[in-house]
Amino acid sequence: MYCFLRLSVLLVGLIVSVSSYAANAVQPLTTADDLGPKVEQPIEFPHDRHAGDAAKGGMQINCMYCHTYARRSIVAGIPPLQKCIGCHQNIESVRETPRIKKLFEYWEAKKAVPWKKVHDLPDFVRFNHERHIQRFVFAQNKPVQEACGYCHGDVKTMTVARRQKPLSMGWCVSCHQKDHPVDATSTKTTHGPNDCWQCHK
Amino acid sequence: MSITNLLENWSDFRQQHPSDDRPHREYKWAMSIDLDACTGCNACSVACYAENNLPVVGKEKFLHGHSHHWIRIERYWANDGREFADQGAQFLPMLCQHCESAPCETVCPVGATNHTADGLNSQVYNRCVGSRYCNANCPYKARYFNWYDYPTTDNVWPEPMNQQLNPDVTVRGKGVMEKCTFCVQRLTVAKSNARSEGRSVLDGEVQTACQQVCPTGAISFGNLVDPLAKVGKQWMTQQVDLNKDKQAKDVAEEAAKLRGYRILEELRTYPSVMYLEQLREGSI
Ligand code: SF4
Ligand code: SF4
Repeated sequence: MYCFLRLSVLLVGLIVSVSSYAANAVQPLTTADDLGPKVEQPIEFPHDRHAGDAAKGGMQINCMYCHTYARRSIVAGIPPLQKCIGCHQNIESVRETPRIKKLFEYWEAKKAVPWKKVHDLPDFVRFNHERHIQRFVFAQNKPVQEACGYCHGDVKTMTVARRQKPLSMGWCVSCHQKDHPVDATSTKTTHGPNDCWQCHK
Repeated sequence: MSITNLLENWSDFRQQHPSDDRPHREYKWAMSIDLDACTGCNACSVACYAENNLPVVGKEKFLHGHSHHWIRIERYWANDGREFADQGAQFLPMLCQHCESAPCETVCPVGATNHTADGLNSQVYNRCVGSRYCNANCPYKARYFNWYDYPTTDNVWPEPMNQQLNPDVTVRGKGVMEKCTFCVQRLTVAKSNARSEGRSVLDGEVQTACQQVCPTGAISFGNLVDPLAKVGKQWMTQQVDLNKDKQAKDVAEEAAKLRGYRILEELRTYPSVMYLEQLREGSI
């Protein structure tokens, strides 16, 4: 009994200290311990060059220019090769670089680039991009890169994208429990859904 | 979810429907099945197999009671000692009744089955530990257990048949309980589409797989909260009230012509499925 008491006191202390630590710590965009495995892509796609800040040599292209389905579908979508070529056939300056040469090889062979999945959720999870983008980008007027970054990290500084967030249930719920304003001007807030069947299938 | 949150909300967690303090705000999915229209063709059952990745277990396992028909056609014979009844069998498609006060929910040791805000009885496969208490407590016997690992060791969907699996529904492994979901994957899509357009799901916008294929249109499905929904109108005309375990019409005499009833209503499960059947002279 005494032993049990001691254990529970210890546990309570632990929980209190952990939760107070969690409440104070500022959540950085990148947390090293949650870094996912390196994914070998067929072409080393430089996200920083495409979406990065102009000051750092980026093109500041909107995430949704290539990942078009994010705003209207469950999946964000990997752009078809056509989309890459659509721009790159007019960009002579990089036409002879190795990555672009490889890109055109796929194009001439009429083959899709076999991109690998970086953010792979278990099969029993249903994640809907549309609902999140509609809420944060279109209702709340958040910048696109910030909204995508909640789950994908600071992609505009990466070359090949890598998972930076744990994408675990507790992590999803930690955001669903917060008060989120329904739109940019309203003071009314709501939580994310907390019912199992919203996300599990 | 933190521990404090869990402890604070413990009473909420096992809160029972129906309750006046927690009305269904936007959706309450419900069904009605017209037994006078049902011909017992089993199309609904087949559609459910296709839609929800149900394994076909084979004769032997079926005889052991290991089948997975989330909607099964029960047959009732009134043959009065003769070999065959005059009018053949009477059919009753039995599926999960999505009880408002579900006996299965209260006994699950891990909370893998619970009630959603839309009035569905949910089953979360990745949470289920396979204790099978829920099945033991279900008066309708509408829950099915995965005794085998059908996708892998039993190889129910050999290449290329695995291509037919519905990606919106988990392929269940060994040791989890499953049951009719009211095709929740379809409901979720319909709700999301409606939400993008800033409205609620319209009546008829979403159909369950079994409803969609029924050749006689015996199955209707919809939102009871929606005053325009066909299901709601049916429930109203038949004087079946979701939140009552004894319907007012039971005492009214002229109500004898009404066909609507819910199965085992007296157990206070408050089911979400209403059946319609004309009482026949012989069966009284
Ligand atoms: S498909 Fe319709 S008619 Fe056929 S068994 Fe099912 S409910 Fe009855
Ligand atoms: S509602 Fe869907 S899951 Fe339920 S019995 Fe019909 S087809 Fe199967």
